[in-house]
Amino acid sequence: MEILSVNNIKKHFGGLEVLKGTTMDVKKGTMVGLVGPNGSGKTTLLKIIFSMLKADAGNIYFKGQDITRLPPHRIYQQGLSFAFQLPRLFFRLPVMDNLILAGREQLGESLGGTLFLRPAWRRQEAQLAEKAWQLLDFLEMSSLARHMAGELSGGQRKLVEIGRALMADPAMMLLDEPAAGVNPVLGKKIYQKLRTLTGQGMTFLVVEHKLDMLLGFADWVYMIDNGKIMLSGTPREVIESPEFYTTYVGEKKDAAS
Amino acid sequence: MDPMVFLLDTLVFVGIFMILTLSLNLEYGFTGLGNFGKVAFFMVGAYIYAITIQFGLPFYISLVLGAVVAAILGALVSLPALRLREDYLAITTIAFGEIVRIIFKAEQAIAGGVWGIAVPSIFQDLNLSIRMSVIVNLLLIYCMVAVIFIILQMLTNSPYGRVLRSIREDDEAVAALGKNVIYYKVQVFMIGSAIAGIAGGLYAQYLRFIEPNMFLPLVTFFVWIMLILGGTGNNKGALVGALLIEFISRGSRIAKDYVALPVDPHNVQFVLFGILIIILIMYWPNGLLREKQIQTVPERRIAHGDSVSK
Ligand SMILES: Nc1ncnc2c1ncn2[C@@H]1O[C@H](COP(=O)(O)OP(=O)(O)OP(=O)(O)O)[C@@H](O)[C@H]1O
Ligand SMILES: [Mg+2]
Repeated sequence: MEILSVNNIKKHFGGLEVLKGTTMDVKKGTMVGLVGPNGSGKTTLLKIIFSMLKADAGNIYFKGQDITRLPPHRIYQQGLSFAFQLPRLFFRLPVMDNLILAGREQLGESLGGTLFLRPAWRRQEAQLAEKAWQLLDFLEMSSLARHMAGELSGGQRKLVEIGRALMADPAMMLLDEPAAGVNPVLGKKIYQKLRTLTGQGMTFLVVEHKLDMLLGFADWVYMIDNGKIMLSGTPREVIESPEFYTTYVGEKKDAAS
Repeated sequence: MDPMVFLLDTLVFVGIFMILTLSLNLEYGFTGLGNFGKVAFFMVGAYIYAITIQFGLPFYISLVLGAVVAAILGALVSLPALRLREDYLAITTIAFGEIVRIIFKAEQAIAGGVWGIAVPSIFQDLNLSIRMSVIVNLLLIYCMVAVIFIILQMLTNSPYGRVLRSIREDDEAVAALGKNVIYYKVQVFMIGSAIAGIAGGLYAQYLRFIEPNMFLPLVTFFVWIMLILGGTGNNKGALVGALLIEFISRGSRIAKDYVALPVDPHNVQFVLFGILIIILIMYWPNGLLREKQIQTVPERRIAHGDSVSK
């Protein structure tokens, strides 16, 4: 069953055609990888799925519903979350608050709720904090919980970005190079965690340049080049195909092949 | 003037400016919305109060009406601007401040045009001495300061406040976390305008007379320096900033009578304030009091075993 369908998406920036009719499907409970050279339109595609950019043409369906024209906050409420390639943390807020903010349906976030449902949202706040502590433990960042996000190193910011996307228990996550800038052991640990979450029905669409991560963890891989999906298949099929070799790894095989 | 009355009168103005600065702190200090037309909402509150109280409405109804009208105007002004880029809000609010004053200046039948409008005091039946009447107003105003301060503390030290602060940091990223950013911004702008409207009503009640020239852009400028001096994102800072700046400003007015300078010290204060702002922004951008973090996150429960064992 497809949880996400991307249907013939087109996008240009000025004279640059970035996406030229991109189509892909993601099945529920799987991890799907998206690979392609730098500048091939991967981030652009994720942003379009999440409505942070507007597509020129095409449609996006999430859980069978057309979400193409929904604003990002509504898409998030539908159960999709997005961990950016370049983390966008709230610098003058502590790490803890950066995480708690991602909790969905918080009573204390509405004007009336803050003033009149104090005991209820305090309880909710305690639950969210507990969950944030567990995530921070997992990301090996508990000691930094009360630090301002602006004081973190690049890799640490990346970790909080991923933790934040996990906070809301989304049905599906878009991850833009989650392991980039993260030490390899922890990067692998993150992928293992995501993998166990697919077992619980969660779905991931992951942009990843590291082939070993795709081979080790993805169920299916799409390769995008020049704004078009050129290949799709199991990680092994894609990575072993000659086309993948020429466009992605960049080493031209002999003319004979 | 009786020096005691002068002091009490200063404190009344401090209270009015505390309310205005608190409202700007909610908008700018916490949410990052630069409102450069604060005086317009203050003015609307004052005029609505002055006009409706003539009809014999109870005092608090007039006050609330002023706040409601200011809030509605706040929504109308901010909604189109907030959908666009950040700087449009600044331009729109500056223009709005001027437009409101010009309208009240031109309107003769209800608002009295340039001659202004007399406001019957709610305490006039009590036959108070001047000193007592200032004291009674003082009490009323500081009750409102306290109520508004407490409500704003509750709003900003909560999940609601967390959303506002994050909007200030990066509004696109907040939207990506499921928050309806426009909704929050307009709501904050309405609350801020309503509070400024209340300050206007109290001002009109105290002065018993208002006219358009009391609502020059200078008022907005004062509120901004108060906020920046006190510390953005700190409600106590807003109170401190209002107190200090109003006292400095009044002090310069007294100095005018006692110090012989080639220039009027009351005018020199604007030069000084300009320099003060530059110095503050360069060397003390956080103001006197720093922003406090949200205090509602409980400490972790140590009893939870699995994490500690690692
Ligand atoms: N906002 C924008 N305005 C103009 N051009 C843009 C914009 N965003 C992306 N582009 C261009 O679109 C192309 C695709 O960018 P995109 O970020 O999608 O690449 P990517 O596949 O994610 O690359 P990488 O692997 O380096 O992250 C690039 O050529 C980039 O310069
Ligand atoms: Mg990218």
